[in-house]
Amino acid sequence: MASRVETPVYPVPWYQGRVASWVTTVDHKRIGILYILTSLIFFLAGGILALLIRTQLIATDVDIFSRDTYNELFTMHGTTMVFLVVVPIFAGFANFLVPLMIGARDVAFPRLNALSYWLFLLGGVILYSSWFAQGGAAKAGWTAYPPLSVETVGNGQDLWIVGLHVLSLSSLAGAINFLATIHNMRTAGMTWMRLPLFVWTIEIYSALLVLVLPALSAGLTMLLLDRQGWTHFFLPGDGGDPLLYQHVFWFFGHPEVYVMILPAMGIISEVIPVFSRKPIFGYKAVAFSTVAIGFYSLLVWAHHMFAVGLGWGLDIWFMVASLIIAVPTGVKIFNWLATTWRGNLIFETPMLFSLGFIAVFTIGGLSGIYVAAFPFDWQVHDTYFVVAHFHYVLFGGSVFGIFAALYYWWPKMFGRYLNDTLGKWHFWLTFIGFNLAFFPQHFLGLMGMPRRIYTYTDSSWEVYNLLSTIGSYVMGVGVLVFIANVIWARRRSPRAVNDPWLGDTLEWFTTSPPPPHNFDKVPYVTSSRPLRDLRRRLAGERV
Amino acid sequence: MPEPVATAALLAASGLTPVKPESPNAERISDVFWFITFFAIVIFLVVAVPLVVFILRYRNRGRPRHEEGPQIIGNTSLEIAWTAAPVIILVLIAGFTLYKLPGMSLEAGNELEVQVVGRQFYWQYRYPNGAVAINKLVAPADRVVKLRITAPDYDVIHSYWVPALFGKMDAIPGRTNEVEFKGTKVGTYRGQCVEFCGLQHAAMKNEIQVIPAEQFDTWVSEQASGQASGQSDLGEQEFEGVCATCHGDQGQGFIGPALSAATVSSPQSVEQIIREGRNKMPPVGRGWSDEQVQALTGYLTQRFGQGSQPGG
Repeated sequence: MASRVETPVYPVPWYQGRVASWVTTVDHKRIGILYILTSLIFFLAGGILALLIRTQLIATDVDIFSRDTYNELFTMHGTTMVFLVVVPIFAGFANFLVPLMIGARDVAFPRLNALSYWLFLLGGVILYSSWFAQGGAAKAGWTAYPPLSVETVGNGQDLWIVGLHVLSLSSLAGAINFLATIHNMRTAGMTWMRLPLFVWTIEIYSALLVLVLPALSAGLTMLLLDRQGWTHFFLPGDGGDPLLYQHVFWFFGHPEVYVMILPAMGIISEVIPVFSRKPIFGYKAVAFSTVAIGFYSLLVWAHHMFAVGLGWGLDIWFMVASLIIAVPTGVKIFNWLATTWRGNLIFETPMLFSLGFIAVFTIGGLSGIYVAAFPFDWQVHDTYFVVAHFHYVLFGGSVFGIFAALYYWWPKMFGRYLNDTLGKWHFWLTFIGFNLAFFPQHFLGLMGMPRRIYTYTDSSWEVYNLLSTIGSYVMGVGVLVFIANVIWARRRSPRAVNDPWLGDTLEWFTTSPPPPHNFDKVPYVTSSRPLRDLRRRLAGERV
Repeated sequence: MPEPVATAALLAASGLTPVKPESPNAERISDVFWFITFFAIVIFLVVAVPLVVFILRYRNRGRPRHEEGPQIIGNTSLEIAWTAAPVIILVLIAGFTLYKLPGMSLEAGNELEVQVVGRQFYWQYRYPNGAVAINKLVAPADRVVKLRITAPDYDVIHSYWVPALFGKMDAIPGRTNEVEFKGTKVGTYRGQCVEFCGLQHAAMKNEIQVIPAEQFDTWVSEQASGQASGQSDLGEQEFEGVCATCHGDQGQGFIGPALSAATVSSPQSVEQIIREGRNKMPPVGRGWSDEQVQALTGYLTQRFGQGSQPGG
């Protein structure tokens, strides 16, 4: 008879409990996972809002939602996707990956890191509590232009402002932390020219946030004072200027676009080489184009304002600056393409989303050239052409990158694989649904359909709207497949090995998931692909 | 219709190209569209064709994961080439846009200047002779019309646009923007507000009717004299363009309550409500002249007042 082994009973401190350990954690990996999971929940919420919007627009004169509700839907959809999904999920990936990729023990300021996550959650809760506010949620659009946003009655707009303030603080703390970490905590041999390209993009992501978030905070503060105080920064009746807000907002808002796309570019710069079994083509060009995009993104804000009557002088400047950004962006696209040339291309889900990124992001970049040419922008500004353009960039770019990252790093984060067959279903549903949803919107814009209208009467707009709505439902099914995949990974998936993809970067050196201290020891880094070097060294090849 | 014209009309009607331009500046905007479209298609093919070819040609085909491709880390002359080529294309695009730009201003010396005021949720026009119109602008053909676009200090930002005639221009409180057009073809061209302006943004529609120039002169002077003497359709225009947006086409009630004999019985209280607003109703008549207000109260009394047919 087998003897029972007594489990020794240790007194477990409260903060190591199942839930409490997550609440009290200062471990960058756990904080990263909290960030990612929270963002994914907001992604579902924002996605449901999008489906409701598309349902209302499925045909002419549909009357499912009241006008106020519709205005709340698109305001909260935009705000959610920007501030509660794309920016924080990249903070999540950066949290999990940057210390591992540079061979560090943790981020520079672990407690500040925990604070930035909890502020993010608080900001999200404040924003979503506005649904229950007197007068309903914010309904002046995610850009909240005054005077409309000042005159809007109810507290939804105030909660929106306070929520964004808290989220700015969160992002600012996170960005400072990443900068301090990347600058000070790289392991021996990890020079700037050996830094993983994802880390390069997080460096620029953070620098941009530090530079432009104060502008957002200033704008929001003035807006709040105009609403609740006695100021009139943006109210022309008392000597203010509504355009001041637009300048301040877009000085933040345009770099924010690059904050949301650069890390996705970093992700696919990691994935494409590994799944092509080649090094990235032109490492320096890809790294420096990131810096160039970041720099020029600070000089183009008023291309969102071509229809306000800036005068041709400023119009020309902002057109030229905007066109310049297309150059480093093009460099990246061609370098990714060249990376696949003569490779051993492995079409697993991370690679599918990365190649899908190249295809659809190129379309988003090209429609960006149209809207940069300001006379043409006068034609399509604030129409569905622009809606199509920025979804090609922010969904086709950012969200495709996010899904690539989830499939690529899931085994490292959770020690289990996501299923590749389900992943392929997820990809194809997303890719087809996405193009069906957003490509016809270019045509709607050219036909003159404005953004942010709760209904339309022109029956010639109906076909494209119907296609767009069908496409959005197909994407919705894709997300359900992803959820099924996550559940599968938790229940059935095999244990992940340390380095399932034969990766290039240091995070694959440690276990999956990594121990709290990340590494027992870190190999000396002699190139931008330390893990490949190590594998070759172990195989007895010359590095 | 000859073949190419028919094709172009079809493309425009299906949204594959911008709405068919009927003013010289809209024509130039359309030229910019075509110029960029040429390069956009070329660039798309330059990316998409290699992408598909590489995907097919270099696919895994059962090779093991550890089998690497050639370890090519870059090629300076190639990278310079694909930096320089976009620069050249973008210089061409910027150059062509700037070449087309001067002609987008149509200053002619004898232009008709019309004031356009964006309001929640209607457009008000004022012709040089003082005639007022709501939502529908009547314009002479083959003459430059200069729109001076603004919004009152107490209103919000709107944006005025008729896709076939000119690019959009925002109506911003405290500022006046200008945009011109020259209708080359008699007809009616539609548009709607393109800057989100609140509850009934979607209902804020506008149209421009281009009529022969000689008819226009008669029309506009009749309007001015009719409005001065209280014998015009201004009240009806105001009801349909301003009130009906929220109170329903027949005044039957929609977002706002139904209009009835009781609600319109006192012109003074109607004037107070439209000048000051009430609850969700914006002060739609703030800044109106007495003639404008009287035109509306007169129309409302006639249509909804005691003794009128129920339901208008």
